[in-house]
Amino acid sequence: MKSAKHTKILRRRRLPTGAIVLLLAVTTSALSAWTYYDATTIPTGAYQLNYPANFGNRVNTPDDNPTTKQGVFLGRLLFYEPLLSADNSVSCSSCHKQELAFTDGVAFSRGVHGARAARNSMSLANLLWARKFFWDGRASSLEEQASFPLVNPVEMGQPLDVSIKKLKNTTFYPAIFKQVYGDTAITTNRMVKALAQFERTLISANSKYDRYLANNYQPTDDELKGMTLFNTFPDPEKGIRGANCSHCHGGPKNYLELFHNNGLDSISKDEGIGAFTKLATDRGRFKVPTLRNIALTAPYMHDGRFKTLNEVLDHYSEHVAQSPALSAFLQDASNIPGGRALKLTAIEKKQLIAFLNMLTDTTFTADARFADPFISVTKHQLKKNLSE
Amino acid sequence: MKKYAIVLLLLAAPFLVNAQAEKQASVKITGEVTTPLTITPDNIKTYEQTKVTRKDRDGKDHTYTGVLLSTLLQKAGVTMGKDLKGENLVKYVLASASDGYQVTFALAELDKEFTDRAIILATQIDGQPLAAADGPFRIIVQDEKKPARCMKQVTELHIAFAK
Repeated sequence: MKSAKHTKILRRRRLPTGAIVLLLAVTTSALSAWTYYDATTIPTGAYQLNYPANFGNRVNTPDDNPTTKQGVFLGRLLFYEPLLSADNSVSCSSCHKQELAFTDGVAFSRGVHGARAARNSMSLANLLWARKFFWDGRASSLEEQASFPLVNPVEMGQPLDVSIKKLKNTTFYPAIFKQVYGDTAITTNRMVKALAQFERTLISANSKYDRYLANNYQPTDDELKGMTLFNTFPDPEKGIRGANCSHCHGGPKNYLELFHNNGLDSISKDEGIGAFTKLATDRGRFKVPTLRNIALTAPYMHDGRFKTLNEVLDHYSEHVAQSPALSAFLQDASNIPGGRALKLTAIEKKQLIAFLNMLTDTTFTADARFADPFISVTKHQLKKNLSE
Repeated sequence: MKKYAIVLLLLAAPFLVNAQAEKQASVKITGEVTTPLTITPDNIKTYEQTKVTRKDRDGKDHTYTGVLLSTLLQKAGVTMGKDLKGENLVKYVLASASDGYQVTFALAELDKEFTDRAIILATQIDGQPLAAADGPFRIIVQDEKKPARCMKQVTELHIAFAK
């Protein structure tokens, strides 16, 4: 137990079924269903964001929201907080699960009252550098992004003033807001700032590919061949084979901030950024997602239409749909003269997938700093009960 | 409640704009300018036209027609010509395309008093309008070996001081 001089903050929480079963088996004591927070032990000070030099420093942190340890602490609680949803069943983490590189494994996420989102849940990694958010890039900062899912009727579906009221009615959030912002006021601005701070800490930089770039990993033959295909523009006249993936997914972060129509449909049902710009050439144009942890983030595309990486490669290799909006570099990139799609061999696809698997960062998906703080506290309590 | 209403409006935005007519592409000239300008496929015809020939990815020479970037920048009141000296030499143009791609040019790279190399905002290739996926506006950099700055579907030229 924590020292008596500290203010103890107590709160009843819903537990996952597995944990409840375990709890029943271990103890019937009331203690086990309670979570403890101690506002006076929150870490404070500037948060050190560590990343490799080759990631560059073109970060997107607003001047009025520097990343602090206390802000990140609060942001993490809010990220995992179901009180922010209309029926207390959905948190940010419901559609952004750490073990799936902050995606949820389904084509369209489930929101409050069983509603389904309109687009596939995006993976969260290395957002510190991102400048446009959502599949259609409509938000220009994490702060701006955060309000959308909170109030969207098919996601968390709760007016912001209701969320604020619910947090005020807890015994511990006002105290934590005080630790972060100097007083107990809970506002939308403070909520989204804390969420953004936590999300900026989600840095993935320890995949096999990162280690290869740092000269600490020797890729297999398939991985190396896949890497070459990934980085090469095909030129059949010169006998050069390639998949040209790096045109949009290149660089050490496997992310370039681009928006493209990648030939999924000849007339895209979802207009993408075209809904905002009203340009015919922007129809069906979506954010090019990061390939970091791509093996963990199925299903793929803005509508989750492809279940496997094989299906994704088949698309680029054989099924690119021509249309006026199809991005120029996809119109004639092919491994056969005059071809309209890549036309990769089965072996080349296998090699590309070997390379894509190099982008998985299990340090990131297991990092305790990003995990559900409520569960970890509960687990801590459980362990304590077991040892007593 | 007000914030909620605004967010709802934003969420509904894609459906609201559906009702509007299709827009025309344009290039906005913004930042360190005295007169922000919007270049359209119509009003670009009123400027003096320049031709530049360069090889495209197909390895063949093509002749592009358009307007010198320096002419457009001067019209927007950017410090070109006699004003391009002192601290103005740390200004650059950040060019953006509709796919989010961005490249920069130092102002001095565009100025006739510094260089004879023409950098134009092209609207035609070999006398024909640019292909939809390339245009209607494309930057063409004379003699530059790599095509990386021959940006397609240009949407903005933003002028700023390097900090």
